[in-house]
Amino acid sequence: MAVKIFIATDRLDSVLEKLSTKIDLLIPASLKDDKSAPTGFVPFVPGTAPAFDRQTTTPLKKALLPQVETLLRFEYHKDPQGSPKSSVTVDDQRQVRPTLVFGARPCDVKALTTLDRVFSNGPYVDPYYVERRKNTLFATLVCRQNDAKCFCTSVGGGPADMEGSHLRIVPVDGGYVVEALSPEAQTLLENLADAPDSARDAQAGQIVEEALKRRVGELDTKGSPEAFRKRFDQTDYWFQMINQCLGCGVCTYVCPTCYCFTITDEVENLKGERLRSWDSCMFYHYTLEASGHNPRPTKLERYRNRVGHKFSYIPERYEGLLGCCGCGRCIRSCPVSIDIRQVVGHLKENTSE
Amino acid sequence: MAVGWVKRSAAHHAVSEIERVEKAVLETSRMQLHKLVEEALPELEMMIGWAESSDPLQTTPIFIRDAKSISKLTCGPLCSQNLTGYLVKPPALDSVPKDAKPIGICVKGCDSRSLVALIQEKFLTRDRVRIFGIPCRGTVDWRKVEKRVQLLNVKSATVEDDWLILDDSGTTHKIALEEVLSRKCLGCRYPNPVIHDVLIGQSATPRSTDLATTYRDVDAIEKEPLEQRLAFWQSELDRCIRCYACRNACPLCVCQDKCIVETREPRWLTQRAGIPEKFLFHFIHAMHLAGRCTGCGECERVCPMEIPVTLIKEKLNKIMEEMLGYAAGLDPDAVPPLLTFNPGETEI
Ligand code: SF4
Ligand code: SF4
Ligand code: SF4
Ligand code: SF4
Repeated sequence: MAVKIFIATDRLDSVLEKLSTKIDLLIPASLKDDKSAPTGFVPFVPGTAPAFDRQTTTPLKKALLPQVETLLRFEYHKDPQGSPKSSVTVDDQRQVRPTLVFGARPCDVKALTTLDRVFSNGPYVDPYYVERRKNTLFATLVCRQNDAKCFCTSVGGGPADMEGSHLRIVPVDGGYVVEALSPEAQTLLENLADAPDSARDAQAGQIVEEALKRRVGELDTKGSPEAFRKRFDQTDYWFQMINQCLGCGVCTYVCPTCYCFTITDEVENLKGERLRSWDSCMFYHYTLEASGHNPRPTKLERYRNRVGHKFSYIPERYEGLLGCCGCGRCIRSCPVSIDIRQVVGHLKENTSE
Repeated sequence: MAVGWVKRSAAHHAVSEIERVEKAVLETSRMQLHKLVEEALPELEMMIGWAESSDPLQTTPIFIRDAKSISKLTCGPLCSQNLTGYLVKPPALDSVPKDAKPIGICVKGCDSRSLVALIQEKFLTRDRVRIFGIPCRGTVDWRKVEKRVQLLNVKSATVEDDWLILDDSGTTHKIALEEVLSRKCLGCRYPNPVIHDVLIGQSATPRSTDLATTYRDVDAIEKEPLEQRLAFWQSELDRCIRCYACRNACPLCVCQDKCIVETREPRWLTQRAGIPEKFLFHFIHAMHLAGRCTGCGECERVCPMEIPVTLIKEKLNKIMEEMLGYAAGLDPDAVPPLLTFNPGETEI
């Protein structure tokens, strides 16, 4: 028997507070006092109002892949004998605390499957990612507030998709019905709140049913990998589609499935840290080679890579899985209104030309 | 400075002629724009303007080479992007040979000042561009619209008189234009292009004629105690994700791929994303724009995190105006004060 509780809207804060004594919480919330400001996932402290009514501006990926993280700390030691050979000590200790993400949307959680393929399913396993992944649980909101930029069902997801989630949150009249989908989640729900009454339970059931049927987005991605290959060399196509691109990092940084990073050693005197930080394939330096040659010299090649990676290379390599979860963030935030749905949608038109 | 600022070629005259004649018969600025571009396109390498995007509240820049696409061109309060940066950043101008025909470009009042600044700094000669000036009554900040009404699926956005009218899947919203204009527009002194070959539509009345109105937001912050100002900027800059959209969108940030905050060898700025690093980046941007920034607001408009980054530059612009009596991007023949070097300088 699944464990379910009902959290009344006015009790949400106190229930989350209680929950946060069992596990660290990350919730979607405004990034400043003003409720209409950009949103992101932030550590819950009592009084933080969750922003469930819209897609967060910044994605969930930072919970598993922070914008900047210290991979290791190092220190060189000079030989007291004056030998030029110095020794180095390395410390890669890190602390990962069990965390529950409360209120992510299905697309956000789905996006992590793309990251998993790269960081945890081999051949190279990333210990930093894997450790966080193992320690993170997801309470996912059945999505009732998709907007014009969402297209999750076009890319294999859906507003009630619970793949990878441990708890399901269903917004009902007056609050939320929260249901455990895994044994570890059941323990989290113990003694938090009462079970929902039968009317609310039924309403939650209906909402889930409705969300399972809802289609969000009209993009047809069938055949995109091949269509992309045919378009690859058609400079005119890319010029037409994205010549207005500014080559900024917005789309990649707000994208929950973009995972490119760079590694730098930041040294001061004899001490330093090796950092991993987000990088963007939209940046010139991303592909700049030591020789000075840049295989993707202009934004056309760079944007083309973004589309190809998500809709052609990833599905070809990982059994059809797309590198896009349809969250629409890149469309919402692009300063020049580039719409990836159009770029992908048109790939298939008259590719023979 | 470059020829042709006052003296125009015969071709320029021809376009002006058409404009005068057609004005009476064309009902809307948009149709007037189409007509003018149609006439001019054979003489142009390409035309840079705005087109509708998949979001009715926002336009997208468009680069037109063939007459078929002219019908996509639009103008009006939804055309918020400043297009002038495309003239100096790849691949627009780079791909065009030096002896090629001029490039046509649509500019609002503020955008025209960026053009002037680019001409002043010799990134562009006047004869390389054909300027379609569009007097501006202010541009819509779509984020302000979304803060006022929760939008699900906007089907159309039109401006009628002083109202923005939205059809959001069957629901009509009527919003006072004034309430959703971009912050920069509320203090705009130059809504009419300061440089142009043709003008489209009626001239606009400036919203501001004095420094106090233009720099009202700077003044408001300066009235706050120092700790509060620090707290304000810390909280604002904390949101920055270092995506560099503000830099890439700035028409006068011309270093682009060579920008000091991003070069990897040598790496001048750390990859850390703490407030000090973000602060440093923004002050590098601001200082490199000192005496050059025209206050076009593009850096702020593009910021996905809604950080009022233009405000930092407004402070510098205010200092420039108060101390040196100089506002950037007004006179193509003027030499920006910080671009001069006078060993005998006595005033500073
Ligand atoms: S597509 Fe848009 S968000 Fe992405 S790099 Fe280009 S301008 Fe920036
Ligand atoms: S590419 Fe765009 S729509 Fe797809 S997951 Fe990334 S941000 Fe979301
Ligand atoms: S710094 Fe901002 S306001 Fe100034 S010219 Fe650049 S984009 Fe425009
Ligand atoms: S556009 Fe905004 S988030 Fe991006 S670097 Fe500039 S201030 Fe930061």
